[in-house]
Amino acid sequence: MTFLHPLALLGLAAAALPALLHLLERRTPPEAEFPPLRYLRDAERQSARRLRLRHLLLLILRTALVAVIVLAAARPIVPTGRGGGGGGGGGGGRSGAVHAPTALAVVLDNSLSAGAVVDGRPVLDRLKALARASLAQATAGDRLWLVLADGVARAGSREALLASADGATATPQRLELVPAVERAARLVAAEPLPAREVHVLSDLQRTALGTGTVDVPDVALLVLAPPERVPANRGVAAARAGEGGLGLTIAVSGTPGAGAAPLVARLQAPGNDPAGGRAREVGRTLAAPGQSVTLPLPPLAPGWWMGEVWLDADELRGDDRRLFVVRVAPPASVAADAGVGPFVAAALAVLRVAKRVTTGGGVSIGERLGAAHSVVLPPGDPALLGQVNRALSARGVRWHFGAPGPPGTIASADLAMVRGVQVNRRYRLEGTEGDSGVVATVSGEPWLVRDGGVVLVGSRLDTTWTALPAAPGFVPFVDALANRIARGEALVAEAVGVPRVQFVTRGADTVGATVFGPDPRESDLTPGTPDELHRSFPGARVLDEAGLAAERFAGARRADVSGLLLGFALLLAAIELAVASMSR
Amino acid sequence: MVDSRRLDLLDPAEVARLGGIEIVAQGVVEGFLAGIHRSPFRGFSVEFTEHRAYQPGDELRYLDWKILARADRLFVKQFEEETNLRAMILLDASRSMAWRGDPARLTKRGYADRLVAALALILLRQRDATGLMTFDEAVRQVIPARVKAGQWTRLVRGLIDTPDGLGTAAEAALRQLAGLLARRGLVVLVSDLLLDRELALTALRYLRHRGHQVIVLHVMDPAELDLAGPPEVRFRDPESAASVVVRPRELAGAYAATVRREIAGWRTACRRHGVAYHHIRTDMPFGMALRLLA
Repeated sequence: MTFLHPLALLGLAAAALPALLHLLERRTPPEAEFPPLRYLRDAERQSARRLRLRHLLLLILRTALVAVIVLAAARPIVPTGRGGGGGGGGGGGRSGAVHAPTALAVVLDNSLSAGAVVDGRPVLDRLKALARASLAQATAGDRLWLVLADGVARAGSREALLASADGATATPQRLELVPAVERAARLVAAEPLPAREVHVLSDLQRTALGTGTVDVPDVALLVLAPPERVPANRGVAAARAGEGGLGLTIAVSGTPGAGAAPLVARLQAPGNDPAGGRAREVGRTLAAPGQSVTLPLPPLAPGWWMGEVWLDADELRGDDRRLFVVRVAPPASVAADAGVGPFVAAALAVLRVAKRVTTGGGVSIGERLGAAHSVVLPPGDPALLGQVNRALSARGVRWHFGAPGPPGTIASADLAMVRGVQVNRRYRLEGTEGDSGVVATVSGEPWLVRDGGVVLVGSRLDTTWTALPAAPGFVPFVDALANRIARGEALVAEAVGVPRVQFVTRGADTVGATVFGPDPRESDLTPGTPDELHRSFPGARVLDEAGLAAERFAGARRADVSGLLLGFALLLAAIELAVASMSR
Repeated sequence: MVDSRRLDLLDPAEVARLGGIEIVAQGVVEGFLAGIHRSPFRGFSVEFTEHRAYQPGDELRYLDWKILARADRLFVKQFEEETNLRAMILLDASRSMAWRGDPARLTKRGYADRLVAALALILLRQRDATGLMTFDEAVRQVIPARVKAGQWTRLVRGLIDTPDGLGTAAEAALRQLAGLLARRGLVVLVSDLLLDRELALTALRYLRHRGHQVIVLHVMDPAELDLAGPPEVRFRDPESAASVVVRPRELAGAYAATVRREIAGWRTACRRHGVAYHHIRTDMPFGMALRLLA
């Protein structure tokens, strides 16, 4: 049993009042003559036992009456077990039903997918109403958290969290549901309160479940059941321009089975917002979820071009538009020495034809350092390695060639075209500044690094060293090496966020850009299957809205018995009155 | 000045405000006798004289049933009063008699004085020799029974001159009275009977054994019948100074039952010994009390 107003229990001291009053009252009774005292004594003798019992009964009744009233004032709460309505609705919080102090975390999934409209109502509105109902039933003794799509567990008062839940909007962020629920469960499990609950209010996208498992003991996990009807949805998962703006690759994601939908790409001249009216359409095609299409882009003048890809509107509008950026750099003037081998020479020839590079000294590729930007390959003669390293050191480059390294495959976040390509021979690249400037690795060791205007490659671009010259991505690799990496220009990066473009500048030059957009996995609205839910949340109870309303705080539900006590006090008062007024 | 109204039927306290004991007693007796038109006291002190024809209104108890049986005619018996009845009135003058539960009422002693004076006047008017003995823990006054002129005044003076005493010792007074009454006579004990019942009954039984007619008038204040008072009170016995703390409200029922049982006990015991017993409340009109004796 707990009390809502435990300080009121101090009033139990008042239970001693009847006994005190009884003692005080006995002090000085008035005196009077009464001749038939013998009758009085006889009557008293005959009634002594009854009167003693009556006095004792009255004392007990009055003491109990005071104690019961004080207890009622302290608002005692007793467990009532599971079941019964929870008062749902989230109107006014307690409606007679109360519960033991509970640590409660509400996970409200306001990721992009919650913005889908189902049956004419955004899913997020339904989730918010349920979150409000859960929070509104909290009492002052509860400890509360609200976890939104950003995964941050916000602790706060009921009112503060209600305001946060009410103000939640669908965000482009993706909620990693299992880790978020796991964190929430561990938070509430750490609270020394009688009950712990986590309410998971999500559309339970399959893609959000991942492979993890939430298994925190002593925490009641209530999961809102996924919707029965899932709308077909399509979203622009990606829109990326090739190196130099040679083409625009568009990926479409969405609910499996959704048909193809028309999409339009528009491009805006540098310096203008693509959403403005001066954008021009550069392509139109049809694509279904899971498909990827490439639209050719018209020849573009050097500069940073912004564009966007639009899909026809569907139930989830947040993923129907994606921005992209095209970097068209002036062709690099490249000079390759004789030691680079035939493959690099051939690639440069192709690039010259395509006007991606020109002949000149802007970027030198070879076994030696050039005057300006240099791409340094390991010398064919190992005896020259020391000379190259001394030159690098003299230039102030913090990297140098080391001992030969084991073979492996190339990994790179920046250079997609070389990923997975086999490397047979290589020198380890050793630096003094950790991994700063590493562009690609082999077996986890740096293989392509950049420091200042110097790029070091761990292998010669020869098929005896690596399979790269024979790979389809070799020419684009050389293009990127000459036009972007050697000149220090960053790749156009992508990030999850509100659709926008952030440019990276160095001095007056723009050297990179980050394109923000929604997480493409949010476009697939397919919920997890019961098996998948059970695997992710073993021990959880998956409930519909009514079930959730009934089971909230059910493990800790308690009843305020103050009304019962007041009724009992009334009964005691009636008995006291009857006994006190009893003449015989 | 005696009120022209029937004083015997008025509230005793109201009657007492009209004058001294003599005046009140005379007024009460006049009214009382006017109401019944003849002496109410009959018995061995009166003798049969003659028969007369029954007339409507005559009391049936005086009907001669033997003549009715033999001759089928209605005759009533007529009696002639004797003058040789010797009546002694014993008045309890103990401290307990000087108590009243309400200032608006007479004390038990005040009521008893007036009742005794009226009774004595009636007896003397019948030419019965009437005497008085007052007692508390001892005999205080003894006025032998006489029928001569001025006897009533002496009796009243005896009442007035007897102060409120202390304890009560009725049995001693009764035994002393037995010695004073050489011939059979009438003994009237006026008391609140707050005394040892067994001892008193022993003495009364002795008087009855000597052939005396004995009447006990149990005088009680109404407040002695029903217990009332503040929530808690210490009651003190005026005679013994003993006291007890009680809560009248919670003891009222048991007390009333005890009093009723006590009265019933006196009534039963008196009847068993041939003693007439009458319970008289001090708010009872004197005429009603006298009628009890008729």
